[in-house]
Amino acid sequence: MAANAEELELKDRIRLIESMIAEGRRTTESYGWTFVFWGVAYYIAIVWTAIYHWPWAWLVTMAGAWVLCWAIIVSKKKNKPERRPGTTIGRGIFAIWISMGISLSLLLPALGFSDRFNQHIFVAIVAAMLGVANGASGMMIRWKAQVAAAIVWWAASVAACFGSDDQCTAVFLVAIFFCQIVFGVYAMLWEARVRKQQEALHA
Amino acid sequence: MPELPELNPVIHGKLRLALLSLLVGVDEAEFTWLRQKTGSTDGNLGAQLLKLEEAGYVAVDKKFVQRKPQSLYRMTEAGRTALSEYIQALKKLLGGAIGD
Repeated sequence: MAANAEELELKDRIRLIESMIAEGRRTTESYGWTFVFWGVAYYIAIVWTAIYHWPWAWLVTMAGAWVLCWAIIVSKKKNKPERRPGTTIGRGIFAIWISMGISLSLLLPALGFSDRFNQHIFVAIVAAMLGVANGASGMMIRWKAQVAAAIVWWAASVAACFGSDDQCTAVFLVAIFFCQIVFGVYAMLWEARVRKQQEALHA
Repeated sequence: MPELPELNPVIHGKLRLALLSLLVGVDEAEFTWLRQKTGSTDGNLGAQLLKLEEAGYVAVDKKFVQRKPQSLYRMTEAGRTALSEYIQALKKLLGGAIGD
């Protein structure tokens, strides 16, 4: 009987270790909104380019979106009562997205200035880069929904190499809708559910 | 008959074990974050962290951020080794029962 109680207590310790390690690694930061935010920014740039045919529309929209996104993240962090500790996975994901952003910010204007830019190349590059970032992040945190978003981006990247300009635009618009807007809203709902669960746990 | 391992008494305390398990997954953590995750009181948490600090399992960095005191705790190499040994000892003690 005593041996059984001791065994139960030891098992309880194992469960405690597992749950606390998972708790420490769990992300409580909300980044689902950034997908929706960037999806809307892409749509603004596409519409701006289509209506006014201004060659700088993408550059200006993306630069503005960078500044606004950074300002929102900084203000959100300032309003938080406690800072979430950094993890290796968190740093890895941040590094992937920042590197992707820098790559696109350098490569796309360079293609434009060298006059080697066209719509198909643009969509193929952007979609492939977003596929890499989503795929790597999704695999790191084992989130199937984000890996699915990566697969859609990769498919869009390949599809952009074929067909007419209009078909290429349609592929891009559809991929943005599913991978930025729909996935972003899904991520926000998922984050809200996790937050509720955590609040209930600590109530 | 093989000798059964002894469990490290510094780590075996429930709150101290929870703290080390939390710290093993992060670079460093604020006192308030540890309090939120463990649901412990300030006094108890401070006392248990001090025990872990005295054992050399955690290190603390105290500073002021925007005029507010901030205590950042991180796990030391000794803490990592001790937790790993503790888990090995637990598994050994439980033997085949661990998967139940």
